[in-house]
Amino acid sequence: MKELNRREFIKNTTVATASVATVASGISLTTFAADPKESDPVTNEKRWGMLIDANKLSEVDIDDMVNACQEEQGWGGEVHSTGDQKSGWIKKVKVRDTATQRVSNLALMCQHCEEPPCVDVCPTNASMKREDGIVLVDKHRCIGCRYCMMACPYDARSFVHEDLTDQKEHMPRGKGTVESCTMCVHKVDKGEQPACAQAVSSDAVIFGDLLDPTSNIHQTLKNVQSTQIRADLNLNTGVRYSGI
Amino acid sequence: MSRLLIVLLSAMLSITAAHADHHIPNLGEKANEFKDDGKKAHKREGMSHAASLIMQRKMHPELLSHKRDKTLRQGVRGGYTQLQKCVDCHTSVDKNGEHIPVNAPDQFCSTCHEKVGVSLDCFSCHRTTPAEDM
Ligand code: HEC
Ligand code: HEC
Ligand code: HEC
Repeated sequence: MKELNRREFIKNTTVATASVATVASGISLTTFAADPKESDPVTNEKRWGMLIDANKLSEVDIDDMVNACQEEQGWGGEVHSTGDQKSGWIKKVKVRDTATQRVSNLALMCQHCEEPPCVDVCPTNASMKREDGIVLVDKHRCIGCRYCMMACPYDARSFVHEDLTDQKEHMPRGKGTVESCTMCVHKVDKGEQPACAQAVSSDAVIFGDLLDPTSNIHQTLKNVQSTQIRADLNLNTGVRYSGI
Repeated sequence: MSRLLIVLLSAMLSITAAHADHHIPNLGEKANEFKDDGKKAHKREGMSHAASLIMQRKMHPELLSHKRDKTLRQGVRGGYTQLQKCVDCHTSVDKNGEHIPVNAPDQFCSTCHEKVGVSLDCFSCHRTTPAEDM
């Protein structure tokens, strides 16, 4: 029943988009000879996810992941922001099992929930989940209210407190809006891997399509014990952990 | 009565004509190369080049906002209207070979806007010069 509603919804949106295209009448998007074609919209046939194996992931690996993310997305160079104001799209966290006292190091970022609390609370629909499961901030709609930051159980979002220049060409960022891990959507859409996954040479971080039975991540999740952080919240995260 | 109408009409026409050759914005480095190569920028299928340029002039805000929603919310990438591409073509280079931000005074994305009193917030986030490795 739920499935049907969803399809209905998609159908309706497609119709709506089509009519928008006709309103801007006479415009055909093919122009320059060398112009690449637009890609098709993403669908829910895929769901992108990541599996992080805390046993295999060294502290150095985590630092590499953080550095790769900063390098790719251009955050971390803020000069006027202090302490908590600084952006942190991906963080190194230590978790201690209260019973066994065992400490593991984790890389924690947006968990790309299927039921994202940030999307629920956003008053402008800026917080959004793409059909393929990637949770983003549509900064064009973000008014900087930061409800999403309070709603996120993973403290995964940051707010830009200062004017920025010289951003990465593929990652516009600016004062007064919220930002977080985009799962390197600009790379994923080109068929590439997120920068953090690429930065780790072992298979401690696996990125892929959770729904594809032939994918490495799907098969590994089937075979090893894994967990979601704060699984009790039933958010069905796209980022999973093993070895904790 | 009809004479008055003609006078009015021709007055309006001359205003538009004056406006048309009046605004010759600083096209930018790559755009100038493009034009000098005899290529027709912004040419749309089934439309003359002149009409295509008018379309671009009039419709670029709509095209851009339509495209930004499609890119962000549906993951539609590539194609013709990408803000970074406008920047890549329409930025100029100063005496020292450094790129000038496309929204700086007298640069392509600001001349017309100053005239019509529009101010954009796009470039508080979007890069104002071509990508580093270009
Ligand atoms: C608060 C930051 C912010 C502001 C302000 C902003 N954008 Fe964006 N824009 C983004 C982000 C983030 C993306 C997504 C980039 C990606 O995923 O590749 C984006 C993507 C886009 C895209 C699709 C990608 C591309 O290069 O074409 C368009 C078009 C666009 N923006 C247009 C605009 C326009 C026009 C304005 C001003 C009216 C504007 N944006 C203002 C942050 C911003
Ligand atoms: C391939 C390079 C290229 C790209 C990319 C490009 N332009 Fe242009 N643009 C040109 C050239 C060349 C002209 C001048 C055409 C002529 O006069 O023949 C032009 C003209 C224009 C004009 C009309 C200027 C006038 O004199 O009335 C506008 C407006 C414009 N561009 C906006 C944009 C916007 C907005 C984008 C991004 C969506 C963009 N352009 C992307 C090359 C480019
Ligand atoms: C030929 C003159 C001209 C040039 C060149 C030009 N624009 Fe514009 N632009 C306009 C006019 C006129 C408006 C106001 C249109 C309106 O209000 O309907 C406008 C409005 C806009 C808007 C909407 C602003 C708002 O707040 O509603 C955006 C976005 C925009 N331009 C982007 C660009 C970008 C990016 C460039 C450089 C690549 C550019 N324009 C170059 C004439 C121009």
